[in-house]
Amino acid sequence: MLRILHDTNYDFIRWWKVMAAITIAFIVLGLGSLAIKPLNLSIEFTGGTLMQLEFTQPPDVGVIRSTLDAAGVHGAEIQQFGTNREFTVRAQEAAQVAAQSQGAESIATTIARVLKQKFGENNLRVVRTEGVGPRVGEELKRGAIIAILLSFLITLVYLSIRFEWRFATAAVIATSHDVFTTIAFLKLMHLEISLTVVAGLLTVLGYSLNDTIIIFDRVRENLRKGRKETLYETLNRSINETLPRSILTHATVLAATLSLLFFAGEVIRPFAWVMAFGIITGTFSSIYVAAPVLLWIERKWPRQTGSRQKTSSTATPTSQTRRSTATATR
Amino acid sequence: MSLKWRIAIILGLVAASFWTLFPRTVVERVKRNGEFVYDTVRRVPLKRGLDLQGGMHLALEVDESKGAVADKSKAIDNALKVVRNRIDEFGVSEPLVQKAGNDRIIVELPGIDDPQRAQDVVQKSAFLEFQITDETQALEKSLPRLDALLKGKAVAVAVAPGAKKDTSTSNAGLQSLFTADTSKKTDSTKADSAAAGGTVGGPGAFSKLVQQGRMPGEYYVANTDVGTVTQYLAMPEVAAAMPPGKVLRWSSDTVSLGGRIYRALYVLDAKPIITGEYLTDAKPNTSPTEGNLVQFTMNNEGARRFRTETGRHIKDYMAIVLDQRVMGQPPIIQSAIGANGQITMGGKDLQAAQDLALVLRAGSLPVPLKVADVRVIGASLGQDSIHKSIVAGSIAVALVVIIMLGYYRFSGALAVAALVLYILYTLAALAGFQAVLTLPGLAGFVLSIGIAVDANVLIFERIREELAHGKTVRTAIDEGFRHAMSAIVDSNVSTALTAAVLYQYGTGPVRGFAVTLLAGIAASMITSIFVVRTFYMIWLNRSRDAQTTLSI
Repeated sequence: MLRILHDTNYDFIRWWKVMAAITIAFIVLGLGSLAIKPLNLSIEFTGGTLMQLEFTQPPDVGVIRSTLDAAGVHGAEIQQFGTNREFTVRAQEAAQVAAQSQGAESIATTIARVLKQKFGENNLRVVRTEGVGPRVGEELKRGAIIAILLSFLITLVYLSIRFEWRFATAAVIATSHDVFTTIAFLKLMHLEISLTVVAGLLTVLGYSLNDTIIIFDRVRENLRKGRKETLYETLNRSINETLPRSILTHATVLAATLSLLFFAGEVIRPFAWVMAFGIITGTFSSIYVAAPVLLWIERKWPRQTGSRQKTSSTATPTSQTRRSTATATR
Repeated sequence: MSLKWRIAIILGLVAASFWTLFPRTVVERVKRNGEFVYDTVRRVPLKRGLDLQGGMHLALEVDESKGAVADKSKAIDNALKVVRNRIDEFGVSEPLVQKAGNDRIIVELPGIDDPQRAQDVVQKSAFLEFQITDETQALEKSLPRLDALLKGKAVAVAVAPGAKKDTSTSNAGLQSLFTADTSKKTDSTKADSAAAGGTVGGPGAFSKLVQQGRMPGEYYVANTDVGTVTQYLAMPEVAAAMPPGKVLRWSSDTVSLGGRIYRALYVLDAKPIITGEYLTDAKPNTSPTEGNLVQFTMNNEGARRFRTETGRHIKDYMAIVLDQRVMGQPPIIQSAIGANGQITMGGKDLQAAQDLALVLRAGSLPVPLKVADVRVIGASLGQDSIHKSIVAGSIAVALVVIIMLGYYRFSGALAVAALVLYILYTLAALAGFQAVLTLPGLAGFVLSIGIAVDANVLIFERIREELAHGKTVRTAIDEGFRHAMSAIVDSNVSTALTAAVLYQYGTGPVRGFAVTLLAGIAASMITSIFVVRTFYMIWLNRSRDAQTTLSI
């Protein structure tokens, strides 16, 4: 029988202060840099025009840029997309988006026309065009934010039903942590945030929550066994017991994610990046955010042991008064 | 549940999946040599989204830049019918035209290779009017007033140096062509000098730009001046000074005279003698003398009105105005015209005539539409995406198989067998519910292969623990499944809830992702819990009490 990290007894939670410092530093770095440059939102959210062009010969980016400038398409972002013959052109300046209200296609038509004049009709091909009006962009942005908030709310409700409120809160805080680290990651990597990336973010949330649930499920079970140990010890024990499972699952998911990252092409790559990072941050937060937060909540609002445990999940206000008895029984 | 039943259920699901996924013959509109024809196609019944098969997605909204629309929802409903008619005639396989929300039309055209043409056909207002050209020299009478208005008015109009030169060189040719009278001669000289001086809005600002055409109410404007004149006409003071009861309309084409390009400007009676609402049919045709044209037929009422009106205007010129543009040269009315007429395309190709006939048949749009959102994906890009996803998926499967076999050995093999069923079931579920496969959906599917074995990992780790506690193989397996259950259910339900939210709030591609995720969760619950359990039961049953050790 091949075993990895079997019967370990690491004191994971001991390091929570160090880990908290690291993750807070990362989040502050990422979100702080927002002050210098905003998030790289895709045209789906900002409105604008995106074109993917395929040239027969590697073109000179400077020539593309000057050609576009001459045609009045200023500030377009030109990026290599995969091979050196494929490029994307993004025009999402607010003024241009407003100007093209008569039809988002107009800028795309201009871009295609001037570039074909410059490089020759048969030397480039437009493989993809996306033109989003400002109103649709606003709607999609709102939709994405609602989706993120709603999925939070729904999971919170589900977790409060399945677990008790302490666990649910800790799990949701851990998941929120993942949203922030992922946004910081997107910012630092300068990845384009598209609808697909938002979908990836929500998947990361689901996955991270999943991981937290596995550990909490074990905590719940260990608590029922009524061992004579503190919650700190129970948490550490649970994390250690679920460690082989975590390693294995992360390995398989990471295998799938990495094959997406390396083989599924340029269009899906930002999504794969989000997932790859999400697996790491999700694992991290399950251990170093969910567990310490649960400990902290327990200290603030201690649970009742034994048969009265269930009632405490609903009776938050009174639990304060029961504090003395709770500590006494422990 | 007895083992026999379990096996029967699994085999039944496999059979159902094969049946759902089996390539079947369907009648479909397909492209053959550039023409869309109905034909039978044999294919796996998995629907590909626009991002995988290439095509065009259009979202249209009411364009209120030229005046507010009171009841947008109703306007969109009416426009929807027209757009649907047009798209149906456009000839695309499996087009989608639907209302989205209250004020938007979504058009999806898979496999289209000329998106600009499609957009034109959808967006064209196709409002047809027949108007008599002005015979009263109304514009000439207004010219002094217009010039006075513009005089001294500082209008910033860029006069390109090239344009100046053009004007001076072509003057001679122009005069000889039109045998212009003295007043016009001075006009053009003035124009020349004004242009040379670079002053705009000086004396004769308006009249210098327009020249009498070949028929009453027709004026020529040099193509380079069209922008300037349009700008003048848009000024509210100028609009107020225009002759009452008349409208100015540009021609749809340009004419080349003496090496210089002109666009005709027509002064027309504001009230049309008839509009396109009586049209019953329109078809493209080619005539040896007039080139490509569209022949139309009117219904009885329209024909009656047309006959009466044209009868009253014999020897007048009748402009055929489409979307405020005069189509071709207005013909002279020789005698009363009945139910049939034609619109010449003025040198445009047969495709243009076909498209015009199409939009005329489908009726005019009640409100102008603007594009709110457009996506065009080339077919090759979609093909490439599918190919790459398959590569990534195969590699993912291979890696997962290696990990599971390497770590769990025999039990890992059971999980791998279940994974094969998982892939089959998921694809079948997608085909069965007619879900649309998108690129994020494919990515989600590849990802779910990695996630799908999670439940098995949980169960196997549990079984290991139970075995370590000294339980027998049979009990360890039972306990392992039982204890892992709550974690599996909780984690899958929470992921499913997230997917449901994504489905609700996502658009096209993201929705495809949510659907794959949901199908994947359902399938993985079945395979990792039910199927793997059954495999264990078969294995345990094979030799009763001989199974004292389990390879896990």
